Parts: sequence; C-alpha cells; structure tokens
Amino acid sequence: MRNYKKSLFYVVFLIIVSSILTACGDDGSSKAEGDTIKLGVLEDRSGDFALVGIQKSHAVELAVEEINDNGGLLGKQIEIVAPDTQSDDKRFQEMARKLILKDKVDVIMGAFSSASREAIRPIMEENKMLYFYNNQYEGGVASKYTFPTGAVPEHQVMTVMEYMIENYGSNVYTIAADYNFGQITADWVRMAAEDLGGKIVGEEFIPLGESQFNSSINKIQKAKPDFLIVLLTGEKQSSFYEQWNTQGIKDLPMATTINMAQQYEHIRSEAPALAHMHVAAPFMEEMDTPEAKEFVEKFRKKFPDDDYVGMEAEAQYTGVNLWAKAVEQAGTTDVDKVIAELENGLSWEAPSGKVTIDPKSHHAVKDVYLFYADENHKISTLYKWDQVEPFWLHEEKGIDLTQDSPNQQYTPID
Amino acid sequence: MDSFSFLILSAIGLAIIFGMMGVINLAHGEFIMLGAYITTLSCLAGVPIPIAIILGSIGVGIFGFIVDKLIIRHLYGRPQDSVVATWGISLIMGQGMLILMGPSLQGPSTPLGSFSVGGINYSLYRLILTIIACLLVVLLYWVFMHTKFGLRSRATMQNEEIARSLGTNTSQMYTLTFVVGSMFAGLTGGLFSFTMTIGPTFGTGFLMESFVTVIVGGANPLIGTVMSGGTLGIVHSALSYIFGTFIGRVGLLVAAIIFIRLWPTGFSGLLEKKILRVKKTNG
Amino acid sequence: MDNLKNFKKIDSEKITMLVLCIVFLLFPLIASAYDVLNMSYFFSMVFLSMSLWLIWGLTGIFSFGQTAFFGVGAYAYAMISMNFNNNTMTIVALVGALVIAWILALLLGYFMFYGGVNDVFVGLITLCVTLVMATFLAQSAGSQWKIGSVLLGGDNGINNIPPLSIEIGSIQFSLVGTYQYYFIILVLIGFYLFLRKMQHGKMGYSFVAIRENRERSQLLGYNISLLQTLSFSFGGVLAAFSGVLYVTWGGYISPSAMGISAAALPVVLVAAAGRNNLSGVMIFTVLYYFLSQKLSVSGSEYALVILGFILIMVILIVPKGIVVTIFNALDRLFSSRRRRDANDTASDTKQAGTY
Repeated sequence: MRNYKKSLFYVVFLIIVSSILTACGDDGSSKAEGDTIKLGVLEDRSGDFALVGIQKSHAVELAVEEINDNGGLLGKQIEIVAPDTQSDDKRFQEMARKLILKDKVDVIMGAFSSASREAIRPIMEENKMLYFYNNQYEGGVASKYTFPTGAVPEHQVMTVMEYMIENYGSNVYTIAADYNFGQITADWVRMAAEDLGGKIVGEEFIPLGESQFNSSINKIQKAKPDFLIVLLTGEKQSSFYEQWNTQGIKDLPMATTINMAQQYEHIRSEAPALAHMHVAAPFMEEMDTPEAKEFVEKFRKKFPDDDYVGMEAEAQYTGVNLWAKAVEQAGTTDVDKVIAELENGLSWEAPSGKVTIDPKSHHAVKDVYLFYADENHKISTLYKWDQVEPFWLHEEKGIDLTQDSPNQQYTPID
Repeated sequence: MDSFSFLILSAIGLAIIFGMMGVINLAHGEFIMLGAYITTLSCLAGVPIPIAIILGSIGVGIFGFIVDKLIIRHLYGRPQDSVVATWGISLIMGQGMLILMGPSLQGPSTPLGSFSVGGINYSLYRLILTIIACLLVVLLYWVFMHTKFGLRSRATMQNEEIARSLGTNTSQMYTLTFVVGSMFAGLTGGLFSFTMTIGPTFGTGFLMESFVTVIVGGANPLIGTVMSGGTLGIVHSALSYIFGTFIGRVGLLVAAIIFIRLWPTGFSGLLEKKILRVKKTNG
Repeated sequence: MDNLKNFKKIDSEKITMLVLCIVFLLFPLIASAYDVLNMSYFFSMVFLSMSLWLIWGLTGIFSFGQTAFFGVGAYAYAMISMNFNNNTMTIVALVGALVIAWILALLLGYFMFYGGVNDVFVGLITLCVTLVMATFLAQSAGSQWKIGSVLLGGDNGINNIPPLSIEIGSIQFSLVGTYQYYFIILVLIGFYLFLRKMQHGKMGYSFVAIRENRERSQLLGYNISLLQTLSFSFGGVLAAFSGVLYVTWGGYISPSAMGISAAALPVVLVAAAGRNNLSGVMIFTVLYYFLSQKLSVSGSEYALVILGFILIMVILIVPKGIVVTIFNALDRLFSSRRRRDANDTASDTKQAGTY
C-alpha cells in the first residue's frame, strides 16, 4: 500500500516535471499574425550532421539580424522559426508540415543531407511553399518551388578536374561515399575524365559510417594514380585522412568537392593529414577577398565559439539575402510573385562574389575558387573561375522551370 | 589482422558487461567516445601518449562507476529495462558532449609512422593495436582463470543464486564488472582516438561491429569474443579487400546471421556448452 | 468462460481506453488540420510498437530489428503503387506490401525458430537483417537498381509516393487528411480489440506459455517453433502495416528508417512502457512521440538530454511502465478490488491450456 502511494507520487511528479519542461520549450510561435515575416529554418543542430547544421543556423541568425537592423523587410521584422531536426528524416517531415500548416511561415530554408531534402521537397510542392536548399549537393533537382543555391558538380567537378589533369597527370583514382552524393559526383568525375583525356584507374565506394580504411588505402597504393579524388563525407569517414597520413602515398595530390570547405577536415585533423588537397568551392573561411573577410569577421564577432565558417554557412547567408532581395522587389511575400522575381535573373553581391539565380534551373551562377592546403594546412587560392553556370539540367535534360516543372531529381547515371 | 583488432577492441568492453550481467549497453559507443575525448584532451595538455590512453581508460572507469551507482545498480536482473536506461544515457552523453565541447575537436595525428612491405605502406601504430588486442585477450584470460575475481565472476556468471549463497557478493561483482567493462571501452576510445577524427558521434562507428561481435560470441566474454572477432575479422577483411568495403560490411552481417543459425548459442555456447550456461536475457 | 470473466471486469484500463477511443474519434471535429495530420503520424508509429509488443511482450521473442519489416512494407508499397501509377491500385499495393512482409517474416521465422535460435540471438539476426537492408538500399542510387519502372533511389529514398485511395461505385477519394486519420484510427481500434481478444484466447495463452518457459511448454505438447514463427510473422505484418501508413502519410521513405538508431527506438519504447500491457505500450508510444516532437520544436540544444533523462527516470521510478502504474493506481483509488498484477503473468500461466 505504501509502496503504491510512493510510486503514484513519483508518477505525478514525473508528469508535472515533463509538462513543465515541455511548456518551457513551447513558445516562440505565439506572436500575432501579420506583423512579422516568418522565416522557417530546418537545420540539424544535434545528431550526426550538427557539425554543419549549427554553422548554417548561425548564418541565418546573422543574416536576419542584419536585415532587421536595417529596418527589416517591407517594413516588417523577420522572425525565425527554427525547430531542431536532429539529423532525422522523419523529424524533417514533421517539422516541415508544422512550419507550413501551424506557423504559416513565408519561406523555408534548410536541410543538410540530400535525404532530408528529398524528404521535405514533396511537402513543399504539395503546399506550394517556397524552399531554399542552400547547400552544396550532387545536383539535378528540378522543382518549381525549390531553389538549390549551393554549389553543384558543374561548379566543382568540371573545374577541379580540369586543373588536376592539366597539372598532375591523367590517372585518376576515386574514393567516394556509397550513396547518392558520392555515386553521382563520382559519375561526374568519370564524365569529366573522359572529356579531358583522363583515365580512371580505380574507384571505390565506402558505406556511410565506415571509419576504417585500411584495405581501401592498400588498394590505392597498388593502383598508383597521379592524383586522388576524395568524395567522403560525414564525421566517421573523415577518419580517412588520419589513416591516409600514416599509411598512404606521401605527397600524392588529392582533390575533393566537399572536404575542407564544408566540414573543415584541415582544422579537425592535425597537419599534414590533408597536405596537397585541392578543393573547388565558392567559399572558405581563409578566402582572401575583402568581402569574404568582412563576412568572416561579422560571423566571428557574433559567434566567437564556432569552429569554422564554411561554404554552407556562406551559402545559407547568401540564400537568405537572395530571398530578402526578391521579396523587397516583389513588394510582397506571396510565393508566386517572389518566385517570379527570382526567375528574373536576380543577383546579389555575396561574400563569395556575385551570385545570380539561373531562371531555367533555379540553381545559382557563382564564382568558384580552387583552394589548396599545404603541409601545414595553410590554405592558398590557386585559381579562380568566373561566374560558372549550372548548365547541366537545361542543356542535358531540357529543363526550363519557368515553363514547366517536373518536380524530380535527375541523375547522370541514366 | 587489422579488422580483427578493431572488432576485438570495440567488442571487449561490451562483451564483459553483456557476458557477466546480461546487460546490453546501448551507451557503449558513447563510453568509447568519452575515452577518446579524455585521451585527446590530456594529450593536447601535454601528457605523453601511453599515459593519456591509460587516463582515458581510468576516466571512463570512474564514469562507469558513477553510472552504475546512480542507475545501473537499480536495474540488476532486469536486462530489458537496462536497454532503456542505457539508451537514455547514450542520448545524454552524445548531446552533452556536443554542448560541452562543440561539434569537433582536433586530435593529434597517428604516432609512430609507417613501414613498408613490398611497396605497400602499413601503419606501425595499427600493428601495435593488433598486438595490444592480443595482449588484452591474454590479460583477460589470466584475470578470469587465475584470480579470485575471475573465479567469483565465473561463478556469478554460471549461477548467480548459488554464487551468492556461497558467499560471493554478487552486487559488488556486478559493479566491478561494469567498471571493468567501462574501462575497456575507454581504452578502446583512447587507442583509436589517434587514428580517427574526434566528435560527439565518434562512438557510433563502433556500435554495430561491437554488437555483432559480442552476440555472435555468445555469453562468454573471453573465448566467445576472441573466436567471433577472429572469424568475423577474417571474413570482413578478406571480403573488403577482394570485393570492396560494401560487400565487406554486408558479408560481416550475413556471416553473423549464418553463424547464429548454425550455432544458436554463439561461439561460446558451441565451445563450452558444459561449463557455461547461457544467460537468459528475457527473464 | 475465462473470456467472459475478463470482459466483465471493468477496470481503469478499459475505461481509459474507451475514453481515449471516443476522444480521438471526435478529435478532428475540435482540432486543426495540422493536429489531425500530426496525430495520424503518431498513430501510424503505434503499429510498430504493437508489433513488438506481440512478439516480445506476449511471446517473448526479442527482436531488435522490427524496422526491417517496417522498411519492407514501406518499400513494397512504394514499388507496387508507383509501378501501377493508378490510384485505385493503391489498395492492391497495401495488400501486396503486407503479403510480402508476411512471407518474408515467415521465412525468417522458419529459418530462426526451426534452427533453435532464441533469446538475444533472435535480436541479433533481425538487427543484422535490417542493417543489411539499410546498407544495401543506401548504395542503390544508380539506375540499375530499379523494380519495374521505379528507382530505389539510394540514400535519398523514394518520394512522391501516392496515398491510399478507395473507390466505392463511381466515387473515388484519397485517404488524406481527416479521411486518413479515420482510416488509421479505425484500423488501430480494430487491431487493438483483435489483439486483446487473442491475448485472452487459446492462442494468446500458448504464446504466453512460450514466453514463460519454452522447455516446459514443449513438454506439454506445444509446437513452439510453429507458434513462435506464427507470432513472429504476424508481428512482421503489423510492422509492415506501420511502414505503409508512414509512407502514405509522408509520401517518402529512405533507408535511414532501418538504421541502428531507428531499430533501437521501438525496443526502448516497448520496454519503457512495460512490455506486457498492450494499452500501456500504445499510450506510451504516442506520449513519447508527442514529447520528443515538442522538445524538437523548442529547438533547445538540451532536447535530447531531457529526453534521455526522462527515459532513465521512467525506468528507475516506474519499472512496470508509467501507464500501467497509473492504471493500477487508479484501480486502487476507485475500488477496493485486489491489486492487479501488472504482469498478468500469474493468472496467464495458470489459464494456459493445451494447444
């Protein structure tokens, strides 16, 4: 009997505690409709992708703070609605629906992994919600409501391959993550190698989450390539560099499209693990232009504890500003009118240089730099490609989103 | 050989806890992660590498002791409830580390460099890992077979009630087991922290492999784990080398399924049917 | 006779379930469209917990990989419905998905139980199965990986999967929004009643007998391999049904639904809820999803820490499961009836007859 009362007491206690905790967490969406413009953000601030998600959330905060300090948008303040999606695709779906149906946001930005983007894209289309995916990815998304403003293989693969083959030789070895991004980007590498007279001497795909690269490194040593393309991603796979450093071929040039610029492996691993690494990207923290320096300074001032300001943070910051400019020009947050403005070839002077929306593919035209890390992981800029166009969807697949939208993702593997 | 040491090292802490207590420690990966953090941080503070590794092990051991006193102690004999509790612990540890230390930490690079056989480079450090794995197995064998602790723990493992009635403090045995298991997890984290990048999800890379190894091994933390680590290691490294990492990983899992089907109580059941009784986890 | 006795006994569990049932049937009248949609999602995940309750709570088979069947159901539905590309065929896709999952579960069950695999080793096999599937599907991005005309989609998964639709005469409507909600809740109530009835029927008692003591049940003449396989396969169907509901709700499935953390969640939920009581498992699942969603909405970095803390507290303070404890407490408060054993074990085992 006494035992019973005790556990009943505990149960009541537990319920009270958890409801208090829940109540504490449940605020923010209580403001009245109409006096603010709502910007929904879906980023992973915990779980596997927190490394980039935290940076991207901070980038939105920075951009919105600046806009609000300059008098807001259409005379209204921008309000951020940002649940934590916890690196979970199901959570992305729940939260996308909540942002649209309950919070009635005016635009949604976010998603890091391609899987989470694909999870929410149909929800955006179903509800006619403007969606910015400000992230580097494998390319190919053609959807009326989606604006992937990050870098795609046209920006990164064609450029870096051109430089590498010209400077180091034609034998290429690719080691890539075994999922959509890795496989599709590896296809691009193959296509680029064919076009540029290179030769693929080896190719290996590593399952996500794999952290032991012994046998892969042995294979690379046997193949003796002129340079190595690394398309590994995620926290586990970045262990490749540590292991390559002790066992791999000394001084072999490497190239990538995501490492360093996105997940700052050159900061996370001790030199010289990423010596001789090349990456073609629109932005890195070490970039040496006045605009980039100013952006990094502002970011660092607001978030002094962040480890790095990477290309996705810059893309996110640019995405928010592109949208704000379109809203300003359209004079409304009405989705169709904002899209019409964006499809007008809208451009903005981003920290990485001029960024223009390509109307036909909704992707971005942007400057691309070739960054290089030396033995001490000091970054230098080797080359710059001006205003690289995302040509592939339009030229190869005949997509013109101003006319008609297929709402799907195309892949070069077909 | 490398695959063998990875499997053995990642499994051994979990194996001790599972074999002795029947507790499936879902926070095992996070324990490994904690060991890696302690080792890396002490290394960055200037502590020599071997001492840093030992510090990592001891640190996680102390942490394991606290966790045992606060939580696990209340769940002795309720293995399915400890699944919930350790899942909760893993959530708290993973996210707590993210809050405390941020999403990344620069670790020191792999010590000792490499040597070359037939034009292919091998890491000297990883060779040492393999040796350490073997040494640990020997050490464990000695502890279990030649010390009082080993005798008592084997007794507890076989029949808790009789062991207790014969004067073994089984509750104390469980605490000790949990601490020793945690120390091994911390050691694993410390050893591998030099070959991998450090972050709050460091440990999840070990989780799947350690589970498979431990359960295929069966209830005996020593013989079972060594046998299954050895066999699965050979399967995994041979398949990854010939067909690539994807087939290697799938092959590891399929091999585990087949082994269990052939010997439904794991390797230790196969070997020591008479000596050891497989603990029921659904009691 | 036992059944009669059982049905007559009115206790707080039955009253609670009845009240909840009425409340949720009326829910769409008072709640917003978003809340209804959200609740549909919670309920579709309840089926996964139910499936684990059936095989683990009732029959004592520890499965760490029920998400394998969740995934099979989801992918099979996506494949069939998208290949036909015809709304009236979605029912066929539903049935097809369930049948495929059932056959797979039967085969796997036969493979395991007729080979004498038991206890934690069953958990390992199902875990390996789900991980093999997740690993395989994650790398299936290429165009060589397709069934019919539908690509498997790799780690990005499949999206734009059509919802269920029904054709009655000339009227055809899709089960979305409130319709979907009613479909889910009616099926849920149906399965609940069915499982309750089965639990207190001959079949249920023989499952319990196996859970309590396999050797003894075998000596008493039960064909335990057969019964385990049956229970396991039916659990597979329930999990697959949950998968189908999830894809019709979200229009999307990806391999991460079968990863190791997705696989652990149902086990944690059922264990924390007190695995022997079906009502408790169902209520706790909804509560958990509700709470974790609220915490996620808050965007707080402490969300997962709080969630972990709550789970630990639940298991330490109310080991029988929070819902069951409340049921028992209510029973005590409102009547002088003998305290019900949360496990139901004693009475269950006694009543188990020959099968």
